[in-house]
Amino acid sequence: MDEKDELTLSPPKKRSVRAATPNSPRVVMECVEILTPSKTRPRIIVQHPIPASPAARAHTLDSSSPTCPPPKTPPKRGRHLQRKAKIVSDMPQVLVLAETLQQAPESEFNCSAPAARQPKASLRRKGKTAWKLPTSAEELPHTLPVELEPCLQLQKHAIMRSLRDLPDIVAQDDHVSANATAYEQLSNLLRGTVLRGEGNSCLLIGPRGSGKSRLVEKAIKSLPEKPIIIRLSGHAQHNDRLAIREIAWQLAQQTGRSFLPSESNSPSDVIDPDENPFLDSSETTIVLPPPAHLLALISVIPTLPRPTIIILDGFDLFAAHARQSLLYCLLDTAQSCRVGSGTKGIAIVGVTTRVDTINLLEKRVKSRFSGRMLRTSCLSELQQWVELARSALTAPVSEDVPEEWPPLWRVAVDSFLQHEKVIEEFKESFSLTRDARTLCRILTTVVMNLTPALPYPSAEKLAASTGIQRCPARFPFLASLPYPAICLCIAAVHYQTSGHNTFTFEMLHEAFRDQVRTSQSAPVQIEGGGIGMMRCSREVLAGAFERLATQRVFTPVAAPSLGTAKEFVFYRLVPDRFELKRAVEAMGQTNLKKWFSKA
Amino acid sequence: MDPSHTALRTPGFGTSASLLSTLLASYPPPFISIYDPENPRLTASVVRNAVTNLQEGGSSGGTAKIHSAIVNAVACFTPRLFYDSVLNALAEWEPSWEDGCNNWSGLSTMPGQRFNENFDAFVHGLQAVKTYLEQASNETPKAASGKWKGKAKATSTNEGEVYRLVIVIERAERLKQSMPELLVPLTRLAELTQLDVTIILLSDLRWEEFRPPLGAAPDPFYIDIPLLSKSVPDTIDIVTSAFDHAAGASVSSSFTDPEAYSAVLRPLYSQFSATLFSICSPFIHNVHELMYLAAARWPGFIKPVLDAHRAYVQEMERLRVDRQSHEAEDSGAESRDDMQDHYEAGMLYLPSEDTRIRLIRHFTPSITIAVENLYPRLAHAAEWSRANMPPADLLTLAPGHMPGPSPPSAGPVNARDVRAFPRTSKFVLVAAFLASTNPAKTDLRMFGRGASERTRRVRRGVSPRKAKAGTGGAGIKIPQRLLGPLPFPLERLLAILGVLLEEHDAEVRPQAPEFAIPGEYTDMEISRVSVHAAIMELASMRLLTRASSADKVDATPTFKCGISYDVALQLARDLGILLNDLLWDSV
Repeated sequence: MDEKDELTLSPPKKRSVRAATPNSPRVVMECVEILTPSKTRPRIIVQHPIPASPAARAHTLDSSSPTCPPPKTPPKRGRHLQRKAKIVSDMPQVLVLAETLQQAPESEFNCSAPAARQPKASLRRKGKTAWKLPTSAEELPHTLPVELEPCLQLQKHAIMRSLRDLPDIVAQDDHVSANATAYEQLSNLLRGTVLRGEGNSCLLIGPRGSGKSRLVEKAIKSLPEKPIIIRLSGHAQHNDRLAIREIAWQLAQQTGRSFLPSESNSPSDVIDPDENPFLDSSETTIVLPPPAHLLALISVIPTLPRPTIIILDGFDLFAAHARQSLLYCLLDTAQSCRVGSGTKGIAIVGVTTRVDTINLLEKRVKSRFSGRMLRTSCLSELQQWVELARSALTAPVSEDVPEEWPPLWRVAVDSFLQHEKVIEEFKESFSLTRDARTLCRILTTVVMNLTPALPYPSAEKLAASTGIQRCPARFPFLASLPYPAICLCIAAVHYQTSGHNTFTFEMLHEAFRDQVRTSQSAPVQIEGGGIGMMRCSREVLAGAFERLATQRVFTPVAAPSLGTAKEFVFYRLVPDRFELKRAVEAMGQTNLKKWFSKA
Repeated sequence: MDPSHTALRTPGFGTSASLLSTLLASYPPPFISIYDPENPRLTASVVRNAVTNLQEGGSSGGTAKIHSAIVNAVACFTPRLFYDSVLNALAEWEPSWEDGCNNWSGLSTMPGQRFNENFDAFVHGLQAVKTYLEQASNETPKAASGKWKGKAKATSTNEGEVYRLVIVIERAERLKQSMPELLVPLTRLAELTQLDVTIILLSDLRWEEFRPPLGAAPDPFYIDIPLLSKSVPDTIDIVTSAFDHAAGASVSSSFTDPEAYSAVLRPLYSQFSATLFSICSPFIHNVHELMYLAAARWPGFIKPVLDAHRAYVQEMERLRVDRQSHEAEDSGAESRDDMQDHYEAGMLYLPSEDTRIRLIRHFTPSITIAVENLYPRLAHAAEWSRANMPPADLLTLAPGHMPGPSPPSAGPVNARDVRAFPRTSKFVLVAAFLASTNPAKTDLRMFGRGASERTRRVRRGVSPRKAKAGTGGAGIKIPQRLLGPLPFPLERLLAILGVLLEEHDAEVRPQAPEFAIPGEYTDMEISRVSVHAAIMELASMRLLTRASSADKVDATPTFKCGISYDVALQLARDLGILLNDLLWDSV
C-alpha cells in the first residue's frame, strides 16, 4: 500500500530518473521499455509528468499530429497497453506506473478532442475495419456510429443491472478475504442446521456496505434444501411484541397454517377481537396467537417440519428491547435444540454493524449465545475498488451485439479507469468511505449520462457525479438566492463579524435598511438611475427570512416559545462566511459585493 | 395545479425527468432522494408525470411493469393514512361510499386482512399488492384454492416480467415531524419487503437535514434538480403556460373576465409575463408565486384592451343598426357582407405595439405594489385585483394624463387599529413599550424628577461602546428594540404610566381642587380600575403579552410589550410624547 502511494504521489521523482537515463532503461520493471521504442513521440512522454495545463498538452499534441500521423504507432502502443493490462492484473504494484504511462494517449483522448478528431475521421472513412478492434483509447470512434447506438443502450442496461447486484471480484492473491471466510463459516453453520438439525447462533458483524446481507442471502440460496426463513429487522420491529407477531405471521405464511392451534384453547374464541384488533375473525386467514402465547410460539419452532433460519437485522436494536426477552427465548431455544431428538434445527443469525454488540447482551442472554462472531469487511485496497468498478462497467451484455462492440467498450472502460483524474477521484472517494454502495451510486450517474454523442465514461462525468453522490453540497442554491434573501444573509454575516452570532429578524431588517439608506445617499447617478441598492418592503424581507429558515440557512437557536413574537426569535447563520462570499461573488452585483466586503 | 398541465410543458426539467424515467425503467436504486430547493411543487408535478407515464405503459426498453403510489407527506400525517394511501394507490383501488369506503384489503379470497396496523402489516400489504397485481395481469388465478401464497418472488411470472413498485413521497421533510419512526424502515423498504420497491423522497430540503440519526438509514441516490432561476426563458415559458390552463378554467370562474384568456391574447400574455418576470425576478424565484402574481394582475392589465374592444363592437353595432334603419330595403347579398364585416369587427385582436408599450408602462408600478402586497399575502389576490382595476377609459386618455398607481394600503392592519384606541390604552401601550425597551435600572435617570431637571436625560456615551470583559466579545451593543421586548412587572408599567400622564396629561384634565399635593391627581388616575381594565384588555388582544403564568395569584403579573417601534412612535406622536427622548438606546 505504501509503495503504491509513493508511486502515485511522486511523479517528479520518476521524471528525474528518466531524465538521468533517457535512452537506457535500467528500471527493472519490464513495462518501462515501452517508453523507448516509439521514438516518434519523445516529447509527449517526457512531458507528461510535468504538471502542465491540459491546453498546453493538447497544443503539443496538436503540433505533433501532422508530423506523425497515428495509423502506425497507436496499434503498437495498444498492444503494449494490453500487455500491460495483463501485467497489472498480476502485479498490483505496477498498476500506477502503468497508469502514468498511459497518460499520454489518454490526454489526447480526453483533453484534445479537436486534435484527435482529425485522424479519427480518417479512420472512419476507411470503413468499419478501422474501429473494428480498437486496442487503445484513441482509436475509439469519437461519437458513436449509428449502428452501435443500441449497443450502448444495452450496455447501459447491463451495467445498471450489475450495479444493483454488484459482482464479486476475484481475489488476486492467496490472501483470502474476510468476506470469503465469513461466507464459508456461515454456510457451514447453516448447513449444520439444515442438514443435521443443529441449533446454531451467530453474529455477523461488519461496517455498512460491506456485504453482510448479501452474504446471508447467498448462504441461504446455496443451501441444499429450503428452510423456513424468518426475517426480522430492528428498524421495523421496535419492540418484542411486534417482532413476535411478525414471527408468527411469517411462520404462518411459510407453513400455511396457524400456530398454537386448537389443543391450547382456540384463540379466536377466547380473545375478544376488540382487545386484539390484529386478530382476524375469518377462519380462512392466518390466525395469530394471543399475546400471552406469543413467546411460547418460539419454543414451537424446532418442532416444525422444516428447519428454520431466523435473521435478525439490526441485532443491536433488538438488544435494546425491554429485558431482551425475545433474544433470550430465541437463543435459549437454539441452545437447547439437540441433534437427534426428533426436532429440526434452528439457526439465529444476527446482523449488525456495531462491534460491541456482544457487550450489549445481558448475562443470561450472552450465556445462551454461542459466541460465534463472523466478520465482514469492506474492500481494503483501492485497486479492488477499481476492479469492482471495472467488473461492473464491463458487465456482459446478454443479448447479441455486433462483435466489435465488446472490445470497443472494454477499451473505453480500461482507458477510463486508467485515467489519472479518475484514479484520483476514486482515491478520494475510497479514503472517505469504503461503502461499495457509494461507488454504485457514483457509477450509476456516470452511466446514466452516457449518450450516443458522448458514449464513453470520462473523468469529467465522474467528477460531476461524485460531486452529487458522495457529499452533496449543502446549500447549492446560495448563489441564486433572491435579492432579499441574500441581503439578509449578508446582514447576518455583518452581525457575525461584530460578534453577534445570533440575530433576530428585526436586527437584519435594521441593518438592511441602514445599508440601503447609506447606499442611496450618494448623489451619484449613472444613466439616470441611482447606484444605490434596491429597496425592499419589510414584509417581502420577512417572507424571504421565513424561506431561509425553512431551507435551514437560518436555524433557530432555541426552541420556539409562545411568548416571543416571530420577528424577535433568535437565529443562527448556518453556511459559513466563505460559502456566502463565493455566492455573492458569483452573483456579481457590485452593491452586494461592496456591502459584503465591509463585513 | 393540474399536473397534466404543468408537467407537459416544463422546460428546464427535461434532463432530470428523463434521468428518472430511465432509472425507473431499468434498474432503479431502492432509495432515491430528489432535491429541489426552489420549485418543489413544480418538480413534484414533473415527477408525478414521469412516473404516471411509465405506469401507463410508456416504459421504453424496460421489461419492468411499474405501479406507482404518489402520496404527500402533508396529507398523510399519520402512519395509517400513509399505509392506506400507498396501498390503495398501488392497487389502483378507490374507496367508494357504497361499499363502506373500505381500503384495499388484499385478494378477495381473504377478507378481514388489515394492512394498516403497523409497519409489518404494511410490508405484508406490499407483498400482497405485488401478488395481486401479478395475478390481475396474468388473468390466471394461480391461487385458485384461495390460499394466499405470501412471499412473492420477483421472478415468478411466466413472461419474466418484473413488477416494480414505486412510492413517491412529496414534502418528505414532513416525515421527520409527523412519523419519525417510519423514516428508517421506509428507506430500507426494499430489503424489508424483499420486493422490487423504489422509494422516492421529494423535498426542498437535503436528505441530510432530515435523515434519522446514527446512520440507521442507507444513503439515497441523489438527484439534484437544476435551479430553474438560472434559465430565464424557461421560467417565462412556464409562467406563460399558466395562460392555457387559465383559458380552460376561466369559464367557471366568475372573477375573471371571460374574454381575458382568449387564445388571441396569448402573445400579449407572454410579453406581459416577461415584463412581470423582469420586475419580480430579483425578489421572487418561485414559479408558482410568479404565476400567482400574474394571475392577479392580468385581468386588470387586459381590461383596457377588452374595454376598448367592447366599445368598438358597440360602436359598430350602433352603426349597423343605424345603417339598417336608413336602408331598410337592402339586397340579401349586401346584408351578408355586412354580417361578415361585423363578424370580423367582433373578433378580439391583439392590441398594437404602441398600446402594448403604453399598457406595460402604466402597469409597471402596480406590479411592484403587487409584489409588496401579494407575495407576503397581505391582501387577498382577487380583492387586490379588484381594487387595482384600471379606470374604465384608460386607453383613450393621452399618455401624460394617465392616472398614477393607486396609493398603497396604509400599512399593516395592526397599526391602523391601534390608533383607534382610547387615550388611556394609548398611554398604557407607550408606557409598556418604554418599559420593555429601557433597562430597568435606567428608569430613575430617564423619568426621575430630581434637582438636576435639565441634565437628567443626557446619556453618557451614545457611540458604540467597547464590550465588557465577560460578554463574550460582543463588539457593538444591539439596541433592545431589535432584540425584542423585555418582560416588566406591572408596578413598573404603572410607574412609567404615571410619569407620562403627569407630564403629558395633567394639563388637560378637569380641575380637581381636592388634590393639593403635586402628583396626587395622577396617582389617583393610575390606580383607577379603568387603567387595570385597559391593561387586561390589551393583554387579551396580545398587544401586551403576559410573561408570567396567569394562574398565580400572589405573584405580580409581568408583561411584555407586543407593539413594534413604528407603532409606538405613531402612538407617541398622537399623544404629543417625544418617544426618542425617553428611550435609553437612541435610534
